[in-house]
Amino acid sequence: MEIISKFKREWMLLVVFIILALAPVRHFLEQSMVTHMLIQLPALVIIGWLATNFFPASWKERIKEWNRWGISGMAFAIVIMLYWMLPRTLDAALSEWPIELVKFTTVPLMGMALGLSWPLLNSIAQGVLKLEFWATFMRMGWLYLDLPDRLCSNYLLGDQRILGQLLLVAGTIWAFTWMLRIVFGVNLIKT
Amino acid sequence: MSSTATTSDKIEYSEAENRNALIAVKAHLITGLLVFLLMMLAGFAMRAAQGTWLDIPVDLFYQIMTVHGVGVVGAAGLASTGVLWYFLRQYVRLSNTIVWTNYFIFLIGVVLILGSIFLGKYGGAWTFLYPLPGNSLGAWSTGSAALFQVGLLLIGTGFLILYLDFGRGILGRYGSLGRALGVTQLFGMEPLNIYHPATVVAGTMVLIVNFIGIAAGAVVLVMGLVNLYYPEFKPDPMLMKHLIYFFGHVFINVAMYAAVVAVYELLPRYTGRPWKTNKVFLAAWFAIIFLVMGVYPHHLLMDFPVPAWAAITAQVLSFGSGLPVLVVTGYGALMIVYRSGIKWNNTTKLIFLSLFGWAAGVIPAILDAMVTVNRVFHNTLWVPGHFHFYLLLGLLPMIIGFMYHLTGEGKEKAQSSATDNFGFWAYFVGCLMTSMVFLASGANSVPRRWAVHMEEWVTLAQFGAVAAALVLLGMLIFVFRSLFSLPKAANPN
Ligand code: HEM
Ligand SMILES: [Cu+2]
Repeated sequence: MEIISKFKREWMLLVVFIILALAPVRHFLEQSMVTHMLIQLPALVIIGWLATNFFPASWKERIKEWNRWGISGMAFAIVIMLYWMLPRTLDAALSEWPIELVKFTTVPLMGMALGLSWPLLNSIAQGVLKLEFWATFMRMGWLYLDLPDRLCSNYLLGDQRILGQLLLVAGTIWAFTWMLRIVFGVNLIKT
Repeated sequence: MSSTATTSDKIEYSEAENRNALIAVKAHLITGLLVFLLMMLAGFAMRAAQGTWLDIPVDLFYQIMTVHGVGVVGAAGLASTGVLWYFLRQYVRLSNTIVWTNYFIFLIGVVLILGSIFLGKYGGAWTFLYPLPGNSLGAWSTGSAALFQVGLLLIGTGFLILYLDFGRGILGRYGSLGRALGVTQLFGMEPLNIYHPATVVAGTMVLIVNFIGIAAGAVVLVMGLVNLYYPEFKPDPMLMKHLIYFFGHVFINVAMYAAVVAVYELLPRYTGRPWKTNKVFLAAWFAIIFLVMGVYPHHLLMDFPVPAWAAITAQVLSFGSGLPVLVVTGYGALMIVYRSGIKWNNTTKLIFLSLFGWAAGVIPAILDAMVTVNRVFHNTLWVPGHFHFYLLLGLLPMIIGFMYHLTGEGKEKAQSSATDNFGFWAYFVGCLMTSMVFLASGANSVPRRWAVHMEEWVTLAQFGAVAAALVLLGMLIFVFRSLFSLPKAANPN
């Protein structure tokens, strides 16, 4: 019984991944910058992250040897993240299928690296990275909102502006829930 | 020396950990005091230049002004951290590795900043106010402006790491920051505990406020960097200014609230009476979190696009912000000292001086935060007048007093030596004069941040230089003490 349900959840993840990769869904999510960056990419990361739950323990042990304190994994994840934060790379993924393929493999890989490394990370390092991620949200939001030109030739300026606003809103909500939790011990989201 | 807090409150560390921690605290103090001394020398040079006694090129003046501003703010952060950390680790478990990490990151940041100023000729003031760093008209390169901001970013990250460790320690012991702050006691969710450590309250406030300040800094510094290398990106200057002042103002203000634990911890030791917390005390510290974060717009009162309501709010908050903690601290200190038979040595004298300096320094600050007064005093030397007052006479005496305490003077019943006495008075009179001359210049509409002063102002600047020399004399004695008596002193307690 146990094994079957675990098996099923594993398959679920794969099914979601395949659905995301299907041409109509892909085009639908990629036709706007907002859904591309706020739905498709995060979904791919989350799929990667969740997938690590199903890794056999022996794999995890193997990887751990190379991933002391989660450092190499985080470094890998950050490099991939920085790469896909460059507007031109996302642009290229839209127009050239090999790049799109790279995106569909590296972004879930990044999620896996995160899933394997984050729990190993020292809590102070987690805090620094969390703040850095938060600050990146705000910086990107601000940039998208204020830049006079389009960053992606595939998307409209208006799209970029909306994304900027959404990033700022998301960052604000994040900061707020974070504060509630630390200062008052209120947990809005169970993690 | 009666022990005040119930001893069961204290965290146990190994002998080796304690020894290492003491070295860390001393390193923070000595580094901080040395930087202060050098920066006072820079201050003296600026005053002498404005007073025509010293001939330095204008661009060098602005480099000196930049290094002075950033240097003292950094030293204030570092030294006050030493004070707070020393006491806070007695109540919550803090890591030596982390405090050293911050210390060394700080030093690296200092190297970058010194490079940007004296090799790269960056002279855009410690406030790096956008768009000035990118518009030097050739006085400095983009790279040096960037280096300055990277240095600040690095130092901010170091402090962030330290505060995360504070957070870990405090949450480990109290569960939430609210409990550590005493908010639960304040609102009756928990019975009042008069032995709730004041240091934990202060440490929690410092952590919350500076964490948020550094978060703002992390955003604004990077946006400034983006603009330096990608000038088409032009962020809203007003928004940048708000964030920069929020970051800078919070950081320097918080140094005061970190160092003030010296008052809470040392006065009880020298009077034999405990520092008791009460609801007013807790309420004041709770309020100050919001006040300290809300007052920075008093630097922006003259920016006409700022809506009137915002300026008025800033004014009201500024009125309020100086007061709550100052009042509960001053009152509490007087109550503890009154008829206690306190021993007047260097530590207690300096701690007492700090309360006077803080209280008196708040007056010109509040004056300047009034919109009508600010119309006249904005960007005059009144502004350096108010902050030199409470930094020189409020913040530094707390730090120096703590340094004397660590040299072990509480142990010996020895009176302070004639040299220390002389140092105290030279410092006190010199600082008072330095600040008053700034205030007087401001009242006479002498602008701040002018390398070359007009003829009518030169006399004032010369007075300022004489006063600065006196401060330097006193400070030199303090620094000698920290270099020669501090390193070998055992931990008093
Ligand atoms: C002997 C002691 C000192 C002297 C003579 C002195 C002198 C000066 C002078 C001449 C200026 C520039 C004023 C102008 O705008 O024309 C200045 C700025 C400043 N000083 Fe001091 N100072 C001293 C100590 C300190 C200390 C201990 C602190 C902080 C703990 C401090 C913080 C500042 C700050 C934040 C500025 C503003 C820099 C700017 O405008 O960018 N000073 N000081
Ligand atoms: Cu201010």
